[in-house]
Amino acid sequence: MTKALDTLLDSLLGELENIRVQRVTQRRIRVDVDADALPTLLELLQGRAGYIHLSAISCVDWVDELQFELVYHVWSYETRTLISAHTRIPREPGVYISIYDLYQPAAFFERDIHEMFGVYFEGSPNMEKFILTEWNGPPPMRKEFDSEQFVHQHFEFENYQPDWLRELEARGGGITKRPEDIR
Amino acid sequence: MRPENYQAVNHPPSNEFELNFGPNHPGIEGNYAFKVKLNGDRVLEAKADAGYLHRGFEKLMEGRLWIQNIALVPRICVPDPAPMEICYSLAVEELGGLEVPERAQWIRVMQLEMSRLAAHLFTFGGHAATTGMYSTMFWGVADRDLILDRFEELTGGRVYSIFNLPGGVRRDIPEGYLSRLGDLLDYLDSRLTDYDDLFFRNQVFVKRARDLGVMSQEQALKWGVTGPNLRATGLPFDVRRDDPYLVYDQLDFDIPTEQAGDALARNLVRRAELQQSIRILRQIIAQLPHIKGPIRCPIPNPLAWQVPAGDSYARVESSKGELGYYVVSTGGEKPYRVHVRGPSSMHAVQVLENLAVGARLEDIAQIMFSLDACPPEVDR
Repeated sequence: MTKALDTLLDSLLGELENIRVQRVTQRRIRVDVDADALPTLLELLQGRAGYIHLSAISCVDWVDELQFELVYHVWSYETRTLISAHTRIPREPGVYISIYDLYQPAAFFERDIHEMFGVYFEGSPNMEKFILTEWNGPPPMRKEFDSEQFVHQHFEFENYQPDWLRELEARGGGITKRPEDIR
Repeated sequence: MRPENYQAVNHPPSNEFELNFGPNHPGIEGNYAFKVKLNGDRVLEAKADAGYLHRGFEKLMEGRLWIQNIALVPRICVPDPAPMEICYSLAVEELGGLEVPERAQWIRVMQLEMSRLAAHLFTFGGHAATTGMYSTMFWGVADRDLILDRFEELTGGRVYSIFNLPGGVRRDIPEGYLSRLGDLLDYLDSRLTDYDDLFFRNQVFVKRARDLGVMSQEQALKWGVTGPNLRATGLPFDVRRDDPYLVYDQLDFDIPTEQAGDALARNLVRRAELQQSIRILRQIIAQLPHIKGPIRCPIPNPLAWQVPAGDSYARVESSKGELGYYVVSTGGEKPYRVHVRGPSSMHAVQVLENLAVGARLEDIAQIMFSLDACPPEVDR
């Protein structure tokens, strides 16, 4: 099975340029491909190698390199292998192509990535808000968004000083470090 | 609203109206909602509405040490928390190049199967309650509690055990534990016929669940369905068998399937899985005493552990389907990115939206419970 799969992948992937294939374990294969070739790769994998199950699309924000990495995990029920296809797109404007035509589960993942990272997928059936319906801030999964800082900017800590705590503190106990001292 | 503020709205004569189904509704699983468009009581369109449970787990995990996240991940799915811990640990172990001792692997499989039993009992109860049969709910929850007792004895926690860590498990099994677990399995096994009489052969349930929310195998594959819902359409796919992890390749068990793809078939698959989980656990009880050795491999100081840079994607079969963790490390003390792929992110959104169309209003809850959709996996 392994050899047959290798041959199949070699013949398929030979049709694409700038592609790097790495067998991580027996059932995990990593493929790195340019952004414009990824839909073709997935089409080939789905149509000719039986990778019909889209397990997930993951997004990673490489803020220092000004890039988003998109990882498409596809599984073949026949060869029982999982291919993780990695590609990178520029962080600005953060636009990519939807693969909804190939894999319907992509609709959920693309909507999620759009909401959390701000990547727009052209051709995706629904890019409206889903989870963060009442959120007007920046996409929160981006690295520059600091949740703790946001909390400190928008909320205040309750001034909690009941009598028993004052007495305790007068004796040298109680809350010895306040949140602002810890930060 | 005060009566003087009420202003009647003139609608064109029509039977169509919109209804918010949830987030506070006894027929919905967790805090989740559906915006349903109806004609009479027939569903014309259903739109999932999530976000009531969003706690930002993925963002939180980026700010915590590798080891701290173990306390966080089980909270993503309350009814079935063990796969969360174990899947996260598997992904981190792959990054860190850790070899989990065999004894720890067996103890992990034991937890996974106990968790599957508990989760399925909970689901039956929920589904039965949507048809008005609360006795099954009470029985299911009471029997689940007995499994939680065993979790408590093993891990100290009833629901969230926080018992696994990258490299193995925290403690070895207590003395006499396996015999008490064996007694519990005998009891659960004897209860299955009672459940059949009360629920699985009960015509109140059978007549309503048959031909409800029917999904063909082709549709299931197209919509990314996994787990018992996929097996109810006749495809014997199970991550435990087809992409084995831990010691599942050394265990003997069947993959139950059904052909009909309706709500009844999905429940019957879970009913059959109870037996298979009991079978697996009995094998573990027989094998575990002969497997000696440590319960975890040495790991660096967990408070300053820098996991080598790289990425890994781990998958396990939870009670609901395929659960995946994509973990990225840049060699730091905290994960750079963790992405959780919950099976319900398909089942509760796209699949449910499709299956609800054409069903009657009172059947939406049944379809949702038959899919065993877990909203926290959508929200994360």
